[in-house]
Amino acid sequence: MADAASGSTDRSVQVKLVLLGEAAVGKSSVVLRFVSNEFQANKEPTIGAAFLTQKCRLEDRVLRYEIWDTAGQERFHSLAPMYYRNAQAAVVVYDVTKASSLEKAKTWVKELQRQANPNIVIALAGNKIDLVQPSPSSSSPSSDAEDEADDATATPGEGAAEGGESLRQVPRDEAEAYAQEAGLLFFETSAKTGEGIVEIFTEIAKKIPIDQILASSRGGANRAGVAGGRTGGQQEGGVNLEENTAKGKDGCNC
Amino acid sequence: MSTISTHLRNFKEPTKEQLTQLFFSLPIEPQTSEIQNNGKEKETKGSNEELERMEISAMLTLGVQGVEEPAQGKLYLIPPYLCFASHDRKSVRFTVPLCTIRRVERLNARAGVYALGLSLWHQMKIVVQLTSLRPTADLFCSLLRDALKAELQRGQMKLVKGFVKSCYSEILVAAGEEKEGEAKVEDPSPDSPDYMYLGGLGLKFKFPGDPKKLREASKTKLWTTYLKAHGRNLTLLRYPQCTRLVQVGLPNRLRGEMWETLSGSIYLRFSNPGAYERILEENKGRISTSTEEIEKDLHRSLPEYSAYQTEEGIGALRRVLQAYSFKNPETGYCQAMNILAAAILIYMAEEQAFWLLEVICDRLLPGYYSPSMHGTLLDQRVFESLVHKCLPIIHEHFQAVDVQLSVASLPWFLSLFINSMPMVFAFRIIDCFFCMGPKVLFQVALAILKINGEQLLQIQDDGGFIHLMRDYFASLGDSAHPASPDPRARAITRFQELLLVSFREFAVITDETILTERRKFRGEVVHSIESFSKRAAIRNLKTLERFTKDQAGLIYDALFKAICIIPPPATALPPPPLLTTKETAEERPETRIGLRTFKVFLSEICTWARSEKIVSNGFQQRVDREVAEHELIDRLFYFWDTSFRGTLSFQDIVSGLDGVMFNDLMENIEWFFNLHDKNKDGFLTRDEVLTLSESLLFIFRFEIGDAYLGAVSRFMSNAFEYGDALLPHPEGHDPEKDAPPQIESNQPYMNLATFRMVVLADEILESFFETDFSGTFRLEPVPMMEIPNSSSGIFGGLWSNITSDDNRKIFNKFTDEIGKSIGKHQVFHRPAIGKFTTLEEPKARESLLTPTMRRTASKASLKTPESPTDSSSEKSRPSESSLLTVDQGSTSTTSLASSMYSPMPSMFQAAANAAALMERTPFAIDDAKDDEDDSDLDSEIEDDGVMDEVDAFLEEHDSGVTDAERELAKDLINAEPVK
Ligand SMILES: Nc1nc2c(ncn2[C@@H]2O[C@H](COP(=O)(O)OP(=O)(O)OP(=O)(O)O)[C@@H](O)[C@H]2O)c(=O)[nH]1
Ligand SMILES: [Mg+2]
Repeated sequence: MADAASGSTDRSVQVKLVLLGEAAVGKSSVVLRFVSNEFQANKEPTIGAAFLTQKCRLEDRVLRYEIWDTAGQERFHSLAPMYYRNAQAAVVVYDVTKASSLEKAKTWVKELQRQANPNIVIALAGNKIDLVQPSPSSSSPSSDAEDEADDATATPGEGAAEGGESLRQVPRDEAEAYAQEAGLLFFETSAKTGEGIVEIFTEIAKKIPIDQILASSRGGANRAGVAGGRTGGQQEGGVNLEENTAKGKDGCNC
Repeated sequence: MSTISTHLRNFKEPTKEQLTQLFFSLPIEPQTSEIQNNGKEKETKGSNEELERMEISAMLTLGVQGVEEPAQGKLYLIPPYLCFASHDRKSVRFTVPLCTIRRVERLNARAGVYALGLSLWHQMKIVVQLTSLRPTADLFCSLLRDALKAELQRGQMKLVKGFVKSCYSEILVAAGEEKEGEAKVEDPSPDSPDYMYLGGLGLKFKFPGDPKKLREASKTKLWTTYLKAHGRNLTLLRYPQCTRLVQVGLPNRLRGEMWETLSGSIYLRFSNPGAYERILEENKGRISTSTEEIEKDLHRSLPEYSAYQTEEGIGALRRVLQAYSFKNPETGYCQAMNILAAAILIYMAEEQAFWLLEVICDRLLPGYYSPSMHGTLLDQRVFESLVHKCLPIIHEHFQAVDVQLSVASLPWFLSLFINSMPMVFAFRIIDCFFCMGPKVLFQVALAILKINGEQLLQIQDDGGFIHLMRDYFASLGDSAHPASPDPRARAITRFQELLLVSFREFAVITDETILTERRKFRGEVVHSIESFSKRAAIRNLKTLERFTKDQAGLIYDALFKAICIIPPPATALPPPPLLTTKETAEERPETRIGLRTFKVFLSEICTWARSEKIVSNGFQQRVDREVAEHELIDRLFYFWDTSFRGTLSFQDIVSGLDGVMFNDLMENIEWFFNLHDKNKDGFLTRDEVLTLSESLLFIFRFEIGDAYLGAVSRFMSNAFEYGDALLPHPEGHDPEKDAPPQIESNQPYMNLATFRMVVLADEILESFFETDFSGTFRLEPVPMMEIPNSSSGIFGGLWSNITSDDNRKIFNKFTDEIGKSIGKHQVFHRPAIGKFTTLEEPKARESLLTPTMRRTASKASLKTPESPTDSSSEKSRPSESSLLTVDQGSTSTTSLASSMYSPMPSMFQAAANAAALMERTPFAIDDAKDDEDDSDLDSEIEDDGVMDEVDAFLEEHDSGVTDAERELAKDLINAEPVK
């Protein structure tokens, strides 16, 4: 067992990634989709944190994501530093059907930017877009809805009822603008349909200063992945992901 | 957007009395009892308080000969309960409600022997020989009589009969008896009208696990025998056999009740009949943050278990969690509680589960699920320390590769392993947990590490650790010795091995160990939680304004201290309904302080908001600080309350302070003007001018000399002179001759420009507004209140006695008295500005400092908190601190404690070849097969090895009884009652 690791070490780079976000926005579901390409309708809340791994091929390199999926409830907040310390990447998830979850996401981003590894690559993911589809373009009608709601304080949110969009509480524009301003990668995703999930991890992989990590971890060569072969439900090289990348982001197929 | 919680400061070490109650699984009255007492509860509590408690040495003998050894120990009368524990605390113990005692007789045995025969419900008889001196024994008896009488009056005796019908054990025993009598009677059917016993969802939806494999039939039979002879539910006597039977796993149908009995939640259910339903009824339809969070998780709690795919199961889960959150709004709902509740509901009815949840959250795992989760963090720290002591090599390796234990162990503790291992195994650990207390979690967790020791030394990072643990848990059902030639050895599973290692090798971990360790680390954990929330609060400020983070930190400290002294109203007021939109409703609660807290806060950072008396009495010089009361302070509070909520948030305060601490001359004048311009029309009324003058006088109240007084009176006369002169005059009016026109006191009277002119006309006021005023606000490190930390034995206790506020006051008063009598008592008030230290008055306009010089001086008060701007504060500070720094005396309990742990010899002799890896989902429910078919009650029992396993847990017990005493005990059983 212990040997399994050494085989895979030579070219793989270990990247520690943490998922943060309000309870029930779908963090665990996003990871499950990425790692096993599955979706479970009733996923238990995460207690403390869960740990999973997945490989991702980027050009000639193999990235091995070590993923910490944290608990979302506010009171678990003080445990989070234990998981994001030394993380090279973070995915902060919110739920597009829940405005408050974006606010929570913002406080996470703020905390990461101040407390975490200074070079951390952060991605913002608006999850559950399957609930607000089929009209994926979105921005203008929904921001109207927002305005209406603001004006008509007495009857909040009764105005818009067109299709799935009515559920949307966070307009894409708004979140995207925020992400840009804060220097984050931005995605809208659905763990249910798989939309946008692989892209998150691919784009993060591109942005990670891999050579830097390699250089810094060269000393302790065996550090990279004793746990190598043991991860459940994961195929060699993450084959399962390729079908999702069909719509073709360039070079990297994880 | 943050909450500031000071509740960790309120922690008190449990008293000896409370520890005894904890040991006997009795409810502890909350130290700060604000729990919504419905009248009935209060009543019973009141009546119990008058009843005295007492403990007495005694020897306990079970009234059936030959079943159990007599045991020496202590009998405790804790109305409305009677408890006994043998001296070793293992040989025997019981907790029985007094109302289950049907008769008490003084026994007539040998001369000089004082013995009582107690007849309990369930036709049980026990004999207690009181081994104390006669008068003590007499006293005990009379107290017991009073307590019993009180129970009779409360009508509790009558409740027992109905209550025990809710217990499955009654059916078991009854069935056993019927069998003996007429062999034909079948299993008791749960539907028989006589027995309305409570049970869990498992009765309908099947229990996890294969009943054959679990050897349900044998276990049930063993328990039936035990419960028949030793009492059950309310009257259970716990002899070592009881613990051993628990260690091999409770039978499914009996499990819920035994959990109740062992954990003591049964006493809560018994003494609060109907409370569960009432709580639900009273809070019907109520929506809170907790109920919303519960709703999110209902379908996410053991979703694989079939009951939780039905409305029946979900409904039960919802009600239990909601009822808990209504009853304990401070804790509310924490993720992981859903998993606990879902798990226990498989074995118990809602009402039972509700009370058990209460016991878990409040007594067994205190603070685990609270908003700060301090109990969880503390026990993780304790666990780490125990690993350090018991498994030093592993600890060292983890340090070397920088892996934190808690990444894996935290969920073990938080969800009692339900989350981590296959449920059947988790339930067996939970059985032991309820029987032997929270130390079980530590014992099992240590055993897990020990068994995996060799592989753990190979791991290099968190990930490796987690994987190793996951694989180990998945293999718990496998043989621990698969290669052994002995089939008996092969039959031992890795789970059995785990329990054996837990309870044999880690028996050194006792309740006392855990308490000591918790005491040791509490301060550290509280500190880290508090500084974490401080950082978060500062980070979450919308704006720091012009303050640095450190300065904001000082403001936070002062605020925190004020909240400690005067806690803000319990829950933030709900936002006014008019403004409620979907978003504000979901806004997280935010700590906002009221006026009273604000006064304390302001007194911390603002010199005129406090009255400081410098007292010297020949023994000490000290500063008595009091919070000042003045309309100006109230005014400031409402001035900063820009959203008109009657409360201030941290942000309001930071912004408010920003508005005053960075001002230059003109800004200060304007600020002061605005502060007094209540309707914000740009004019002060005549009354407001007066108020403003009063405010100035208040600020100047302790300044030495008459300079300020003079300045204010000049200000007033100037103000009214200019003010009157500038009033619009009727045509042809001659201001020289006529009296000024009458105006209403609440009419606009003076604008800012005029005010400024009047102020600048006076040199003292000018310099006051130029620098001195800003300088009265000082951000200095707040002498923090001690974190409650009772670690250091006697000295700690002594010192905390002295430092208690009252005692300090007494001490001060005492020295003052002496000081007065020897003529050394002096008191003077420290001035708010303290510019003039002599009575000499400054000359008029010439002697001006250049403004720039003065400005830098005042800004310094912001930046360098150490440098006092007034001489008097320097004088007094040493005395202040000298009073507070008494060497705490480092009595180290550590050395003692660590010597208790002997090195583990068989350290890394881990189980041989690990079985093939199998990946299970953490919540995998083991095959739930029908267990109705275990009709083989009589066959197999000798062969299925339950007894082997039971014997494996055999431990040495020292009942502390001599042969002579044993003889006496025999006599006592047969003795006749006196009279
Ligand atoms: N429709 C839809 N539902 C989703 C999606 N992602 C997650 N969910 C559902 O949302 C619920 C919560 O998902 P989780 O993945 O457990 O959420 P989490 O963020 O990990 O929650 P915590 O562990 O409590 O912090 C589950 O019932 C999921 O089935 C999605 O993309 N679309
Ligand atoms: Mg999760």
